[in-house]
Amino acid sequence: MTAIAPPRPEAAIAVAHLRKRYGAVEALKGIEFAVQPGEIFGLIGPDGAGKTTTFQILAGVMAATAGEVRVLGKEPRLARLNLGYVTQKFSLYPDLSILENLRYSAGLRRVPAARFEAQARSLLQRVDLDRFRDRLAGQLSGGMKQKLALCCALISGPKILLLDEPTTGVDPVSRREFWDLLAAVAADGVTVIVATPYLDEAERCHRIALIYAGDIQQIGTLQDLRDSLGLRRIEVRAEPLGQAEAVLHQSGGAIVDIQTFGDRLDVMVTDAEQGQAQIRAVLAHNDLHLSDLRLDQPTLENVFVNRLRQQGLDPADLAFPTGRSGQDKGGIAIATRQLQKTFGDFQAVRGVDMTVHYGEIYGLLGANGAGKTTTIKMLCGLLPASGGEIELAGETSRLDRSEVRSRIGYMSQKFTLYDDLTIRQNLEFYGGVYGVPKPLQREKIDWVLETCGLVGQENRLTGSLPGGWKQRVSFGASVMHEPDILFLDEPTSGVDPLARRQFWRLIRDFAQRGTAILVTTHYLEEAENCNTMAFMVAGAIVAQGSPSQIKASQPGQLIELVSRQTQAASNLLKQRLAPWRVSIFGDRLHLVLDDPDRDLIAVQRWLQEADIPVQSTRPIPFSLEDAFIGIVQRAEDVQRVKAP
Amino acid sequence: MPLSRFRSLMLKEIRQILKNRQIIFLLLFPPTVQLLIFGLALNPAVNHLSLGVVDYSDSPASRDFVAALVANDVFEIQSFQPRAADLGQQVRTGQVSTGLVIPPEFAERLAMGQTVDVQVLIDGVDANTAGIASGYMKQLINHYGQTLAKPPGSSSGSSPGPPVETAVRFLYNPGLLSSWFFVPGVIGVVLTLTGSLVSSTTVIREKDVGTLEQLLMTPAQGWEILAAKIAPLFVLLMGDVLLASAIARVVFGLPFRGSYPLFLALSGVYVFVAISIGILLATLARTQQQVVLLSFFFNVPLIQLSGAIAPIESMPTFFRVLSFFDPLRHYVTIARSLILKGVGLEVLLPEVLILLGFAVLLMGLSISRFRAQLN
Repeated sequence: MTAIAPPRPEAAIAVAHLRKRYGAVEALKGIEFAVQPGEIFGLIGPDGAGKTTTFQILAGVMAATAGEVRVLGKEPRLARLNLGYVTQKFSLYPDLSILENLRYSAGLRRVPAARFEAQARSLLQRVDLDRFRDRLAGQLSGGMKQKLALCCALISGPKILLLDEPTTGVDPVSRREFWDLLAAVAADGVTVIVATPYLDEAERCHRIALIYAGDIQQIGTLQDLRDSLGLRRIEVRAEPLGQAEAVLHQSGGAIVDIQTFGDRLDVMVTDAEQGQAQIRAVLAHNDLHLSDLRLDQPTLENVFVNRLRQQGLDPADLAFPTGRSGQDKGGIAIATRQLQKTFGDFQAVRGVDMTVHYGEIYGLLGANGAGKTTTIKMLCGLLPASGGEIELAGETSRLDRSEVRSRIGYMSQKFTLYDDLTIRQNLEFYGGVYGVPKPLQREKIDWVLETCGLVGQENRLTGSLPGGWKQRVSFGASVMHEPDILFLDEPTSGVDPLARRQFWRLIRDFAQRGTAILVTTHYLEEAENCNTMAFMVAGAIVAQGSPSQIKASQPGQLIELVSRQTQAASNLLKQRLAPWRVSIFGDRLHLVLDDPDRDLIAVQRWLQEADIPVQSTRPIPFSLEDAFIGIVQRAEDVQRVKAP
Repeated sequence: MPLSRFRSLMLKEIRQILKNRQIIFLLLFPPTVQLLIFGLALNPAVNHLSLGVVDYSDSPASRDFVAALVANDVFEIQSFQPRAADLGQQVRTGQVSTGLVIPPEFAERLAMGQTVDVQVLIDGVDANTAGIASGYMKQLINHYGQTLAKPPGSSSGSSPGPPVETAVRFLYNPGLLSSWFFVPGVIGVVLTLTGSLVSSTTVIREKDVGTLEQLLMTPAQGWEILAAKIAPLFVLLMGDVLLASAIARVVFGLPFRGSYPLFLALSGVYVFVAISIGILLATLARTQQQVVLLSFFFNVPLIQLSGAIAPIESMPTFFRVLSFFDPLRHYVTIARSLILKGVGLEVLLPEVLILLGFAVLLMGLSISRFRAQLN
């Protein structure tokens, strides 16, 4: 008897020569890919690349202009019952409870009542929503809503999951839980296609497609993409970082590209040895202190940024046309003392003390629902405080006067542009309302259009722009009057990595000119740009300081563990250690160990017993994201102990 | 500086309105249709009432009597029944709305010059129609009695007529055309509905999509934002006033006896009131759906109490007093007086002052709610 080779599994999704045209615009120019059952397939690209269009065609809600699409061997429309689709927007019924939302989704897809109960319980337990099953969906935080949306898509046991940026605007803790659930369902054989602007998440995909301008440029595993780049990455930590970037940039040689990531530079070099020597030499020559230098593989983000720069898609870096000399730095712009806000018997903000100076970038970080947006709204005078004192731009009372407001810029979480006006009309409106003089207004509108790469499209209706682009235009609209104080509530949510860098370049420029900036973000890596940051948990500030102070104050040690079976190792260690101490970063694990000498031996023994091979372990410095998760989880543990 | 700010705010509103076909439709179509429907279809006069007859007498006199009853089309014979019980059944089931039973001795007693009783059955479910039917029936029977009293051929002077004859002359609406009564009222109704709907949608939309927060964060004051929203709507709604008065003049031939500029000016005040109602409702509601339901809740009683459709005089005292707090009531009074009677401002002064009071009060409330509504 000869062994029969198992037949090659039929592709779950096969797309060939797919084209889509909206009027004169060609959104998809003949893309081609196939996804195998049980695979997590990532679709990565800048805003407006054609990701959402692809999803809508795969889900059968939109017809293709040309090409062939087979989902489970059928037309997408006919495969609907075996398909789960989660979009950026919440698709839940806010007036129904968690359980009712689930039951409704199950009913639509004819899930038998007997199976529903068991299925619902197991799903909700996996994402830690079981405790809140009777809470109304409208009262959930953004992260909880997206986890519930995923459960609703999974309740009928679909064979395919389509996820169009499901974690946009979701905090890091919830995002990790979301991806852990994805890994688990994929292991059960569900095929997942996912788009995300968070590239560290995307590293958890089995294969990744880079798409831009309606074309797939590259498909492969993370390793394929790295290899194709043909470059090595060197992490450089030096003081001061800005100068180090400038001198390295000029030196040429083995250095191909430099990208700033928070407190470090990622220097892409053609040759590892040569590159390291060059970096040491250049920094020493310029009297810059080199605190750390590490050789590593390129990340997905390196690949992405590098590819887009090759395409000339790096957004323009233009100086802001200013009409005045700027504010004196150092004075107090915002100060609060024991700031409180209660809604009914719910304490949204409790006793917040903070001080923001002119020229400072102050980051307010926290999970969804921690009270960041409420705090910002009180500071701008949109919500009256229930208690405490606020000082804003030197005023302590009547903060909603128009003289105060004309010195403030505000960009709220929701899109703040009028969808039914054109881009130019929107900008003219905000320029006019803030009383920007006409000639300067024209200059500034041109600046916004150029920095956003929208020249020639200014008469397009704003509603037709992809989310990331809208964010960029709203940022432009909110700074046209050169505010002394700028409030930015998740300005980069849903914005692609290149544009995000540009955002922060602009924010730093404004700070340098003396603007006080209060910003919230869920991208912890970009929060490194803040001078000071505060972590909020359940309405209170639990840690405050500069990024390096915060990271240094973390107890214990962070260990990076490399294993070929990342998911299995994570599952095991999450059971043995507290779940938050274990997280998957791309193809490796990060472990938070309080006593590394003792705990690491135990970890290695557990993995050995389970036959999970360990390639390497090494201590690494805490990233802000690790610090964030540690602080939030420890604070929540303390609160859980306090509250019976 | 504030002037350029206001210009920007208003330019934005005008651009949004121009892009919004729905608003243009709302301004043109419903007012026209409502005016035509109310003016043409709403007529309190009753015709063609179905009549069932049981004629036990079955004589020339009784047939003559029935013929006299149906002569002018108010009553129309639906059926003849052999027995009174059958007729009762027909009235109960609604097959006929009135029934007439003529007794067997009808012809004999009339011939002897005696009074005779006939039985009239009226379906009282529709109280209004029943009242009118019974009035007509009484009139017709009286009239028939009078013609009997003076048989044809006898000279008109021989028998004494009623001691007093009432001669009624109707002022202002000599033909007693019901459309003359309704149309000015419906102009008020149309302005209330359209004005509050368009203004509430422009305000609620900002809240719905989240641009309101951004707008409130600009240096623009609450009143500036609202004034910029109101100004273009005001112009459009004045267009509605012109449209409505053109229909009133051309289609229904209303006389417009008073000063037309005065009518326009006072309509302008009322348009302002209607817009304020809409904005106030929008600050109370959270979504577009809520504001539509809220405006039903407010507008329907506003219209019912105003006397635009049902006369205020027929309401119970409590509601008559309540109607005094209905701005539409005062506008309807003004519109009727100017269109039908042609009086001057001096007569209408109390109504005008009350209307101005409403405008100031409602707009003040809207402005103060506008900024506080995010809480």
